[in-house]
Amino acid sequence: MIPVLPDRSLPLSRRQLLRRSMLGLSGLMLSGGLSSCGWRLGNVQNRGIIQSAANEMFIYTWAQYVDQELLKAFQTTSGIRAVTELFDSNEAMLAALQAGKGATFSIIYPSEYIIPEMRDKKLILPLDQSRLAGLTNLLPHLRQSPNDPGNRYGIPFSWGTTGLVYNSEKFPEAITDWDDLWKYKERLKRRMTLLNDPREVLGAALKSMGYSYNEKNPDLVKKAGEKLLTLKPYLANFTTDAWRDQIVAGDLWVAMGYSSDAGPLLQQNPKLKYIVPQSGSSRWVDLMVIPTTAPNVEGAYQWINFVMQPDVAAATAKRLAVTTPNLAAIELLPADVQHDPVAYPPPEILDRCEAMAFLDRSTAEVYDQAWLKVTSS
Amino acid sequence: MPSAKSKDKDRTPAWLVRWLEPLVLLFPAGVWLVLLLVLPTLIIFELSFVPGIRPGDLVIPSGLGNYLRIFEPLTLLVIGRSLLFAIGTTVFCLLLGFPVAYWLGVIAPKRWQNLLLLAFVLPLWTSSLLRSYAWISILRPTGVLNSLLASVGLPSLDLLNQMPAVLIGMTYSLLPYMVLILYASLEKLDRRLLEAAADLGATPAQTFWWVTVPQVLPGLAASSLLVFINALGDFVNPELLGGPSSMTAARLIYNKFLGATPDWGMGSAMSTMLIVMVTLSIALLIKYGDRRATDL
Repeated sequence: MIPVLPDRSLPLSRRQLLRRSMLGLSGLMLSGGLSSCGWRLGNVQNRGIIQSAANEMFIYTWAQYVDQELLKAFQTTSGIRAVTELFDSNEAMLAALQAGKGATFSIIYPSEYIIPEMRDKKLILPLDQSRLAGLTNLLPHLRQSPNDPGNRYGIPFSWGTTGLVYNSEKFPEAITDWDDLWKYKERLKRRMTLLNDPREVLGAALKSMGYSYNEKNPDLVKKAGEKLLTLKPYLANFTTDAWRDQIVAGDLWVAMGYSSDAGPLLQQNPKLKYIVPQSGSSRWVDLMVIPTTAPNVEGAYQWINFVMQPDVAAATAKRLAVTTPNLAAIELLPADVQHDPVAYPPPEILDRCEAMAFLDRSTAEVYDQAWLKVTSS
Repeated sequence: MPSAKSKDKDRTPAWLVRWLEPLVLLFPAGVWLVLLLVLPTLIIFELSFVPGIRPGDLVIPSGLGNYLRIFEPLTLLVIGRSLLFAIGTTVFCLLLGFPVAYWLGVIAPKRWQNLLLLAFVLPLWTSSLLRSYAWISILRPTGVLNSLLASVGLPSLDLLNQMPAVLIGMTYSLLPYMVLILYASLEKLDRRLLEAAADLGATPAQTFWWVTVPQVLPGLAASSLLVFINALGDFVNPELLGGPSSMTAARLIYNKFLGATPDWGMGSAMSTMLIVMVTLSIALLIKYGDRRATDL
């Protein structure tokens, strides 16, 4: 008996084709996602796909931190041609990394508060301390950060505070605290900006009410969000970058910003002043880390050691107006820079600043919700 | 058996040709579309069923939570604002673009048409980001506009970081699309009908409303929809020009994926919703546009 088989030569009808492709799709979804174990979104593994030449290296960093001069000097001493790519927020950097982009980079410059997350997701390598030179030159308090005790994962490159820049001509009575923004809100209407960053802005509101920058009590975080909503009609914007040109030009009178951004602006426009609010603020550190997928680990260690050399660190700090954490480099800087209260704040100012702490996911969710309310309404 | 074999041999080429032809022609673009459009869209669709997912988490679809969150008042407000911006931009583009397209397509001398059209499309050759930054320097309190106003003794305008700035930026970005499509539609206008209308005693206004507009209605619908869809997805202009109260659906989606408050599940649900809304309006256009075209 010959079994009656359907005639294979007939083309599929549209409906059959549709049904088969639907089956194929659902099969894909099943094997991919609906099974009990599921797949992992943005699972970064070292598959060894990217093999860079030993004399080449990619660096993922903030705009201000690396310039051509530094890259050239590094190439002369090490023979490695380094190329930079820029990010403008830690979150965007993390997302790019997890989307697989990290595989090209051998050095990344994240902020300290995001180190625990990168560590827990195994995105960065623990550093071999024996291959690093000059660690003892680092500021002692930066060696003992709760986010990365003993610099196991990252080596500090720059640090600073978060505060307020204001135009002393438009505002002769000094701005001294966060609450001044609320006090003078009518006069400052649409002439002030806050950072576009949930932790910094909610933290500032929390500080103004006498709580911690890293408050974990959901009710207090919500209260901070409500306090910010009362200021919102008077704000020109939430922005991390755009305020800089506008405050120099005189379009803005007060802006929340980082000390590293404020320093150069104060030189451009002497009427501008930078203060760390009385009730306290945050201090931040940006570090150099080596991603798990780094194609050129050897070059990465060479880079860190090169950047940490006191003369290189001092020259970089002067040229790029960043605050170096390298004590030996600070000693090489001109006296007026060493005593610049914006770049190198005295201990009494630093003491009222908190380092941003890593938040567990449910607390982070509370901050996200409060921020959504502030920015979306 | 031998006969069956030879039969197979005879039939294979025809079978192959029937399959090979579309396969060869469609394969390159098909692979492109499947890998870079269909698959990512399916992944977004799957992620929309995972509450609060971030990179590094397991993807375990578990319900409609993300979609329910779209109906929270705050999210609805954001979506409403997006629609308002998009509708506003469409209306302004239509008001500004129709006279231009009419002049270009109907009145302007033929030999100038291409050059004028080119001049109108020229801004599209620069980056949209750059054009938004240009608007910042024009609209800011001490910017170009206010310097001009001050020099002729007029009071200054405070437009930047507010809704008017967003509408100005988006209208400026999308106006060329409106003009191009309307021009294509107006150029084909049957002028004999206009003459006939005039002959039969219609006023110019009546002619315009009852003769010109119905002829270009499919073009009007297509250009308005294109502008509307692009305005709905624009996040550059609201982000740069809109100030503190300019959160739109597109910006929120961006924030959910790459911003400081990552939640790829919610972002995917909102993306899916936008895709559905846009698909529906295109489907409506195809249906509506076709019927109009056959009516004429």
